[in-house]
Amino acid sequence: MEPPEVGALVEHLFRHSAGHMVARLARWLGAARLDLAEEAVQDALLRALAMWPFRGVPAEPRGWLFQVARNRAVDLLRREATLRGKLDGYDGGLEESPAASALGDDELAMMFMCCHPSLPPAARVALTLKTVGGFSVDEIAAAFLAESDAIAQRLVRAKRQIREQAIAIEIPAADELGGRLDSVLDVLYLLFNEGYSAHGGPNLTRAELCGEAIRLAEILAGNPATDQPAVHALLALMLLQASRLPARVDQAGDILLLAEQDRGAWDQELIGRGLGHLDRAASGPTITAYHVEAAIAAAHAVAVNDAATDWGYIVQRYDDLLAIKPSPVVELNRAIALAMADGPASGIAAIERIEQDPALARYYLLPAALGRLWLEAGDPERAARYFEEALIRPCSAPERRFLERQLTQCRPRAPR
Amino acid sequence: MAKYLVVARSSGMPSTLSPQEMQKVIQKYLSWAEELRKSGRALHGEKLRAGEGRVLRGQGGKMAVTDGPYAETKEIVGGFWLIEAGSYEEMLTLLANHPHLDSSGSLEVREVEDTSQRG
Repeated sequence: MEPPEVGALVEHLFRHSAGHMVARLARWLGAARLDLAEEAVQDALLRALAMWPFRGVPAEPRGWLFQVARNRAVDLLRREATLRGKLDGYDGGLEESPAASALGDDELAMMFMCCHPSLPPAARVALTLKTVGGFSVDEIAAAFLAESDAIAQRLVRAKRQIREQAIAIEIPAADELGGRLDSVLDVLYLLFNEGYSAHGGPNLTRAELCGEAIRLAEILAGNPATDQPAVHALLALMLLQASRLPARVDQAGDILLLAEQDRGAWDQELIGRGLGHLDRAASGPTITAYHVEAAIAAAHAVAVNDAATDWGYIVQRYDDLLAIKPSPVVELNRAIALAMADGPASGIAAIERIEQDPALARYYLLPAALGRLWLEAGDPERAARYFEEALIRPCSAPERRFLERQLTQCRPRAPR
Repeated sequence: MAKYLVVARSSGMPSTLSPQEMQKVIQKYLSWAEELRKSGRALHGEKLRAGEGRVLRGQGGKMAVTDGPYAETKEIVGGFWLIEAGSYEEMLTLLANHPHLDSSGSLEVREVEDTSQRG
């Protein structure tokens, strides 16, 4: 009979609790009953939706939700058992409190299942967001600009594959852990980049992918089983990149270049955490691509202004990155850093070497970079042709406005 | 201050909401209740069980019991609140931005008659 006193719920309580509860229940029931665990959790959340507006939030919202979900799961099991004529002894055995789950073991085990190398990569991403992230099918579809039906199909197929191949919800043994962890990190990296490229756009769900990727990486970093240098490196990279999110677009939602950004708007708390994880990443014999990318992000983060950026150091890190992960996109980024270090001519020469690479044929940033460098080199007409070329290639609305703005800079006076 | 009974009816919540969307809906109710609480008004709410209910009627000295009363309508009585206010007009102001009205929900307001004053 207490009056409702809680004025606000913890941010993302439902989404995160959903992920946690599905992981916990599915681990208890087995991966083959993932659907049942999801149904029980959805029912528990719906029950809260029907009840809390009238009664207020219970003293222990997570515990309340988990107990309801657990009871619902038992009910669903009983119904299933009645239909099949047997109950496989699931009654009991699961502690009432979700807090008993040590250090996020359940979510970690679930992540390993979702990112299992035998599942198709696109399914790993969707499954991770659905089961560990607590995203709905519609939200996943919005985040990846896909149709909800296609995502739902992908999830159904992945779950069938999990049943057929008896993929377990468990933290892999030490001899298997390395490769399995790589697969998890790949998925988180992809999630983050998808959100990062969309940030500032009209699609909020896409932007939330960054936060979710960071949350999941923090679970990995905080668990003794996966507290490894590569994990800290990826987490450092994501935190350092995320620190610039508030400054990446202006108030109209237009993209700002690094040099144009208000560095005062960079999130110093995230930078501090990122540098801390970069330190912890620096143990162990292996340097991963995440290490190098985090080092580049750190070089930007610690520069007090654009002029103070150590571009020579950044070019060297891109050389490191090319040695680990050769790719034309990395070549392009290196060329831009080289232009900053040595002037536009050297950057242009470096880009011209990769200009014909088929992997970059539809990549708008290649002509956009050439346009920028030719403008700096004092050839606005040539620059304009490159920006026009960039506008033909696929890009988002803010990217398009950015390119159009660049194009006007090439033609400071109205044509006769 | 008089007490008012506010009965909330709706045609049911869509079950396809994502966890995030459900939280947003609940948050709106909580924020509304918090505003009310800050203004020093007593607030008590209860949810009513869905899908159950009995209607009792006297029929020539015998009691007739029927299930209901929602059989005739698609609207579900979700629950109720007891809220203090000075007048109906004030109640209407308080309820004008109530989140229950964001969806297709309806609110019925009835003043609880204070028998101690009116004898």
